[in-house]
Amino acid sequence: MTPPAAPFELPPIITYAVPGFVLLIIIEMIAVRLTKKGRYEYRDSASSLAMGLGNRVFGIAIGGLVVLAYFGVYQFRLFNLGWTWPVMIACFFAEDLAYYWFHRIAHERRFFWASHIVHHSSQHYNLTTALRQTWTGTLGLNFIFWLPLLYIGFPPLMVLMFSSISLVYQFWIHTELIDRMGPFEWIFNTPSHHRVHHATNAKYLDANYAGVLIIWDRMFGTFVPEDAKEKPHYGIVSQLGTFNPFRIAFHEWAGIWRDVTHAKSIKDVFGYVFGPPGWSPDGSRKTSASIKAEWAARQQTPPASAVAAE
Amino acid sequence: MQFENPFGVEELIELGGSAAVVLLMIGVAAVLGFRMSARIDDGELTRLAEAEGVRVDNSVIAQNGRTAFARLSDGRVMVARVMGADVSARFAPASIVRMNVNARRLNATFADTGFPPLKMRLDDSPAWLKEFSSGGDKA
Repeated sequence: MTPPAAPFELPPIITYAVPGFVLLIIIEMIAVRLTKKGRYEYRDSASSLAMGLGNRVFGIAIGGLVVLAYFGVYQFRLFNLGWTWPVMIACFFAEDLAYYWFHRIAHERRFFWASHIVHHSSQHYNLTTALRQTWTGTLGLNFIFWLPLLYIGFPPLMVLMFSSISLVYQFWIHTELIDRMGPFEWIFNTPSHHRVHHATNAKYLDANYAGVLIIWDRMFGTFVPEDAKEKPHYGIVSQLGTFNPFRIAFHEWAGIWRDVTHAKSIKDVFGYVFGPPGWSPDGSRKTSASIKAEWAARQQTPPASAVAAE
Repeated sequence: MQFENPFGVEELIELGGSAAVVLLMIGVAAVLGFRMSARIDDGELTRLAEAEGVRVDNSVIAQNGRTAFARLSDGRVMVARVMGADVSARFAPASIVRMNVNARRLNATFADTGFPPLKMRLDDSPAWLKEFSSGGDKA
């Protein structure tokens, strides 16, 4: 059975957005130069843009597998949902919820983190960081989080359309130039919310997984507001220390390989691959949870200097 | 199933155009002077260590201020390198760091894939560094 045809010609949303991306990046660079707010570094931006270009190469090469999977699952759909306004509105929310869970699990399970870590590997936070995308997302099975939508019966092209819209939306929130945005922040993901997501400060770890709507974080208890007193430090907990795109793209996969080949049991293999990033059999490495616990413990203990002064 | 090359003329033009635009943006960044490099000093090392919940016991900073090596209060070591406008730090047990130290140079490589090798030029080599020169297995 063929899927219902879209009632309009679906534009290549991301392709159309690219000139806007380029223009906004150049505008941001000039604004950063003039205002000294935000940071750029040309080698860091070169790495981010090279990752974005590589992502497109891999997209052309193997992105068809995602479309095949979407249409494959759609064959077994529960309902025949057509291209109507109510279905499109429902699909927007369903896609954004799927993104939330993809993103959350991409941070909480190393197998998915190995692809997503690329996006977090820059220690700078600007619009080029938005384009620092993985090369291994398709091979890393990231698309499986959207398959339930196809199984429910949302048309594949509708799901792809809202995924593209979400990706375009998420571009502009990668900036330090925009501060808080008032009531808009109650519902939508914003630069402030997403700065928290990219921060390595213990207080900010594992928070704000939203795509377009921040409501999912508020609902599922992962929302953390930006604290004016705690400036975000960007990147990953174990900083990479390199601008090399190939190292950025594959280092976590190499780390998994190394751990798995040195593992002493099947249980350890499973833990290294599907445990939280930083998991180790003896607990000697640090996970987000252990870092946050250590940080919380330190908050309870007065600093040595304060004790000495009393 | 027949394999079809996904890279047609249209795709190659798209990728070539994208590469040109990437070069343009990098060029704009370079022209605007975004080559600033942070410098590592004792204050920065202290901040990095405190964020990890430890203290710096000893440290050595390269002549150009772009790399540093420190021994921490919990027995681990920290290597730091400037990454553009920020500093990248790696905390590791001394046992996974292979060190080569002489009077004017310090080279450190890691047994895992997490951090590229560190090469530092030193003004002088403090005595505490000597214990690491045979592979750092003492910590």
